[in-house]
Amino acid sequence: MSDLDRAIAQLRACRPIPENEVRELCHKARELLIEEGNVVTVNAPVTICGDIHGQFHDLMELFRVGGDPPDTNYLFMGDFVDRGFYSLESFLLLLCLKVRYPDRMTLIRGNHESRQITTVYGFYDECLRKYGSANVWRYCCDVFDYLALGAIVLGASNTLSQPEGSQPGGQDVEIEVCNADQQIISRFLRKGSNGGGSAGGSQAGGSPEGTGRGEGSPNGAGEGRPTTNGFGEGDGPPAPSNTGPPGSGASGASGGSLGNPAGAVLCVHGGLSPLIDNVDKIRLLDRKQEVPHEGAMCDLLWSDPDEIDGWGLSPRGAGFLFGADIVKVFNHRNDLSLIARAHQLVMEGFKEMFDASIVTVWSAPNYCYRCGNVAALLELSEDDSGLGVLARSNGDVNRSDGGMGGQGPRGVLMENDLLGYNRAGPARRYRVFQAAPQDSRGMPAKKPVADYFL
Amino acid sequence: MEPPPPPPSQPSSSSTTTTAPLPRLEILTSSQLSSTSFGPLQKRINSGADVTFFHTSKAYRDVMVWVMQLNHAMIPRSSPDTARPVSYPLTPNRKEWSAPVRKLRELLAKAEGLMAEAPPEENKNRRFGNGSCRVWHGLLGERIGGWVGGLFDDEEIDKRVGEELKGYFMGSWGDKGRLDYGTGHELSFLAFLGGLWKVRYFGTAGEEEREDGEVEREIVTGVVEPYLEVVRKLITTYTLEPAGSHGVWGLDDHSFLPYILGSAQFTRPIPSSLPDSPTPVEGSCPGAPKPASVTNKQTVVDYRGINMYFGAIGFIYDVKKGPFWEHSPMLFDISGIKDGWGKINKGMVKMYRAEVLGKFPVVQHFGFGGLWRWEEDPELAAEGGGASVHVQSQPQQQDQTGGTKAPWAMVGGPSGGQVSMPRPDSGMSTPTGFPGRQTGLSPAPTGFPARGGQVPMPRGGIPNTGPMEQTSFPRGGGMHDRVGGNQFSVTKAPWAKD
Repeated sequence: MSDLDRAIAQLRACRPIPENEVRELCHKARELLIEEGNVVTVNAPVTICGDIHGQFHDLMELFRVGGDPPDTNYLFMGDFVDRGFYSLESFLLLLCLKVRYPDRMTLIRGNHESRQITTVYGFYDECLRKYGSANVWRYCCDVFDYLALGAIVLGASNTLSQPEGSQPGGQDVEIEVCNADQQIISRFLRKGSNGGGSAGGSQAGGSPEGTGRGEGSPNGAGEGRPTTNGFGEGDGPPAPSNTGPPGSGASGASGGSLGNPAGAVLCVHGGLSPLIDNVDKIRLLDRKQEVPHEGAMCDLLWSDPDEIDGWGLSPRGAGFLFGADIVKVFNHRNDLSLIARAHQLVMEGFKEMFDASIVTVWSAPNYCYRCGNVAALLELSEDDSGLGVLARSNGDVNRSDGGMGGQGPRGVLMENDLLGYNRAGPARRYRVFQAAPQDSRGMPAKKPVADYFL
Repeated sequence: MEPPPPPPSQPSSSSTTTTAPLPRLEILTSSQLSSTSFGPLQKRINSGADVTFFHTSKAYRDVMVWVMQLNHAMIPRSSPDTARPVSYPLTPNRKEWSAPVRKLRELLAKAEGLMAEAPPEENKNRRFGNGSCRVWHGLLGERIGGWVGGLFDDEEIDKRVGEELKGYFMGSWGDKGRLDYGTGHELSFLAFLGGLWKVRYFGTAGEEEREDGEVEREIVTGVVEPYLEVVRKLITTYTLEPAGSHGVWGLDDHSFLPYILGSAQFTRPIPSSLPDSPTPVEGSCPGAPKPASVTNKQTVVDYRGINMYFGAIGFIYDVKKGPFWEHSPMLFDISGIKDGWGKINKGMVKMYRAEVLGKFPVVQHFGFGGLWRWEEDPELAAEGGGASVHVQSQPQQQDQTGGTKAPWAMVGGPSGGQVSMPRPDSGMSTPTGFPGRQTGLSPAPTGFPARGGQVPMPRGGIPNTGPMEQTSFPRGGGMHDRVGGNQFSVTKAPWAKD
């Protein structure tokens, strides 16, 4: 058993590793992370997770529900630390897994992965309490500076993978919500699907077209999939003239979507920035620094979507609020079908907004021991239609409508694409889970009190 | 509930000697009342340097005098004539209150009653804080003028100080925009009560006619505790977030005062013959539960009705699921203190100075005027600031207050405030090992320095480019129809403007 495997085992038992091992681990992690771009490319299938905030036992529950690494390919969207009791164990375990299985574990930076924030919101105090010095906190902060700022998921399928032995989906399921015991809670069919009623109690199938709100959305009233007049400014976006990797903003005239029948998915902790109009601009940032108080890097980690037009001030005092129009233009311009982000507690664990152009994923159940929320993770299946990532942007127009079942000929879709709506996003499976049971955790010895009490 | 009978008399070790009279909050003379200018409260704390000045101000002096005055009144009294010391439990069923306290209780009841007129909205779209709380704030704001006016028989007093008192009262219920509540709001209520004291609302208080500390005790048990109960109801009804939450790494998500006053209730008695005895700094009242019993839910149930410390911990048990030591590690560690409630009381007061009155994000919203004055107190100034000892234990960003720092470095932050561990450079003793279940399994870390190192400043520098030009991004929609503005434990940037 390698040292790393031993450290993983120890951390999985929620026991911190010694300071010298932390130093070594952080050193290795930096060497690894420095090679990653600001925007990491990740191939589906992938399981996308939101904030953890030191809720170690809930992270273990997440692995139980989502599958153990490296069997499951994970993407964590930051905020590993602060507020919870086990930020140290949680972050070090994720970091160990990253070093051990670099291709199966993607970690991007959250706004809490910062020196200034962690001195205010707990991780600093925790390191001091657990090690008696700030060294470990310092090692971890040095790693924070190297974490990627975002990720692009390629090759996600329009259809959900089905577990072996289960009956094939048959219908065109766009969203499936499962509980921690792999039972389907609800299914939502794609608009335009002829699939009829779905197993597991579809809430969407029976919803009439054209009410203009809500239908097909698993949560979040008024934020359902678009109807046919959902978005149309009348000024179709200019046709892109360059080519390049999907999500880079360099899509071809085909919309760049051919290699990604479902479009690419951008993952970022907070959201968009007024200074970033295409993904390539993220790639150009110098990220190896403390999170600045303003600017593009700050915004990516701090911003929130909101029901506004355009940009707004953020009540957080950092980043911005951005509305549906911003997201739709950005997604279209960058050939994205979806932005996945974290950063905000959502009671249902996930929340799709703006005609499912952006989703918030939150993975810390019963946040701060009292919020009563459930957590979620988002699974994107691998596209096995032959239109995977290898086939992108190579001129294979109209090769197939694989994965687009029931949506008609490709050409029609392109029309829709140009209007910026009705893009067939990837099929999404949300697994929702509760906080881990608590009873088995024994009481530790009391620690020396703060000096006020000496 | 009656306090459990204490064990047979155990004479308190009388280390106390006759000392200078306990300072009491000064009551304004009628000439002061007429010569002072009162008006709408003014925010004065706009930077870290202002916090430093605050610690030399009359307002700061008065806040600490007021806290210590209330604290001292809650200490049990011993007498050679009685076998047991007299302690001062909460008296939720007491019917008789002095007229001033009764009127304040009615005011609190009316504020609480408004919650029925602003039932929490059913809105699936909201993430956490319930927007109906804003309706409640609105209703309170509409009616508070008359209600505060109704406290005084003498209209002239209301005309003079009503505006200021109203300001403190309105600031006592959390932030209506952010839907949060924290110790800054609690401080505002303390200022409301102290302001009433200053204008002799509580009658002959502090003078010889009434027994030592009696009026203050009535204020604590008859007003402060009911206030905390209304606050708790607000928090649960509208799911208010902890202002600037530190998660498990703060003392309490919302409150501080009950930990001071509740530990005073259980501290070592002072002789009733020497009412100005110094506040004990160690020891417990005979019969008081052990500090360690806060981890015992049944003991907490037994005491929460009579003791404010246990009342606050009971509320934590109400709202949090999970092991106490995990969701409340500071209180857990404090429960291991061996030197009794006196030690805890002393520590809580110190911590209050540093973590509430010493923190910019908490005190930045405090309003000043004729009652609580933004004016240098010569004595405090000579001492170099009342909290100077604790200013050292501020987090690093509190130190970014020099003239060369970026303007936004101190211009805001998580407001309301919540308390956290002291900073590393204040010195922490070395933990004896890792917490958790690994005791004995993990190789003991070696060579840890006994003290935490300095926190390095954010690397790479914070760009010194001034505040964001955010006004160029106009907002759409008002506060009420937004869904994204509020949520539980939202992280505010420490440098956030308000």
